Amino acid sequence: MTDQLTYPDVVNFAVPFFIALILIELAWIVIKHRGGRYETRDALTSLLMGAGNVASGILLGFVAYGFFMALWAITPLDLGTSVAVVVLCFVLDDLRYYWVHRFGHRIRWVWASHVNHHSSQHYNLTTALRQTWTGTFTFMMIVRAPLILLGFHPAMVLFCGGLNLIYQFWIHTETIGRMPKWFEAVMNTPSHHRVHHGRNARYLDANYAGVFIVWDKLFGTFVPELEQEKVDYGLVRNLGTFNPIRVAFHEWVGIFKDVTQPGLTWRDRLNYCIQPPGWSHDGSRDTSETIKQKHLAHRPEDAGTPGFEKVTSR
Amino acid sequence: MPLSILIPMVILGIAGIAVLLHVLGLTRPASFDTQEDASRAWLREFPEHHTTRVVLSHDRHAALVETAQGPGVVWAMGADSTARFLNGAQIARTRKGLRIALPDYTAPRIHLTLDADEADQWPSLMERQT
Repeated sequence: MTDQLTYPDVVNFAVPFFIALILIELAWIVIKHRGGRYETRDALTSLLMGAGNVASGILLGFVAYGFFMALWAITPLDLGTSVAVVVLCFVLDDLRYYWVHRFGHRIRWVWASHVNHHSSQHYNLTTALRQTWTGTFTFMMIVRAPLILLGFHPAMVLFCGGLNLIYQFWIHTETIGRMPKWFEAVMNTPSHHRVHHGRNARYLDANYAGVFIVWDKLFGTFVPELEQEKVDYGLVRNLGTFNPIRVAFHEWVGIFKDVTQPGLTWRDRLNYCIQPPGWSHDGSRDTSETIKQKHLAHRPEDAGTPGFEKVTSR
Repeated sequence: MPLSILIPMVILGIAGIAVLLHVLGLTRPASFDTQEDASRAWLREFPEHHTTRVVLSHDRHAALVETAQGPGVVWAMGADSTARFLNGAQIARTRKGLRIALPDYTAPRIHLTLDADEADQWPSLMERQT
């Protein structure tokens, strides 16, 4: 069994390219007066979130890696290190990403970690770097367990995860409109991912893909970007702070406050952790479903159109 | 990548981009040209709570709104905006206007730049509405 296997730390090596591409996108926007927007404090917050993500990876990365190496020690399978295995690992890890990302929008405990990535009202390359500091606490490393147990070495799985993250950097832009049709059909693109960052009722809970958009098409969560409905970026309730600490922890604080309310049943307390964002024990808040239902109540003509196909009327 | 290279690169990269954006004039806060603009910005956050009155600040970076559910403030967040109801707000006068402290971790303090008349009037408007 291959115990000592190392791959380059691709995300860290990509940092200079991230900075260079941000400068190129900024220059394009400033010179052409189109293709997106930048704002100093928003971008600074995003970049600090990115730096914090790297720091948390250095400080807490051992937890996931230790878990993976423990699994590697017990699995009898070893698929080796051939190029074909790496490619297969990349594809399967992207499927893993799809589900972790979907959980990240549908389970509040995981959303508490992921929400900060959606907290910018801008959509540019710095938004890509607005990453979580608290991913370890979601325990979503469990979703990678099948890959390790199937015989993909932990270092290979993490390498593929790094490549996945790097791929997703360039799709956080308004500078690129649409890619060629064949590419849009298979791959995640700026257009598809703009939809994912939308707070419009139509675009909520759509396009969870990392690299291959085919997962969304396969699992019924794909919504195309519509010419007639411009994406409005940010959260359903936008933050009133640029403080990275508050951006990183606000949903965790929200969970704590909800769970510790007096007079709740234990089931309610649990539901505040595991139900979708917006769930409340008394129904006083909106989930993405109720937001879509309320939208259709005002605009019934949107029923059955992309993003509203599965919405039931209230 | 060794941390001795990564850390300075990240620090210089972040600082450089922030300075560049500021120099390019991209720090200007959003402004509401009309009451309708402010009302639209409010409805973007609270689509079910229509405004019955909008009072723009003199610099047009904030507005006090009245709704059937109570008073609120919509204000510039960088080049964009956000809004909050004023439930539980503690309002204090500052040299530049008002500071509103909210029991809200996502918007703990709203600093409003108001002229002297506005700073005198807005608290009573907020209280009158509550």
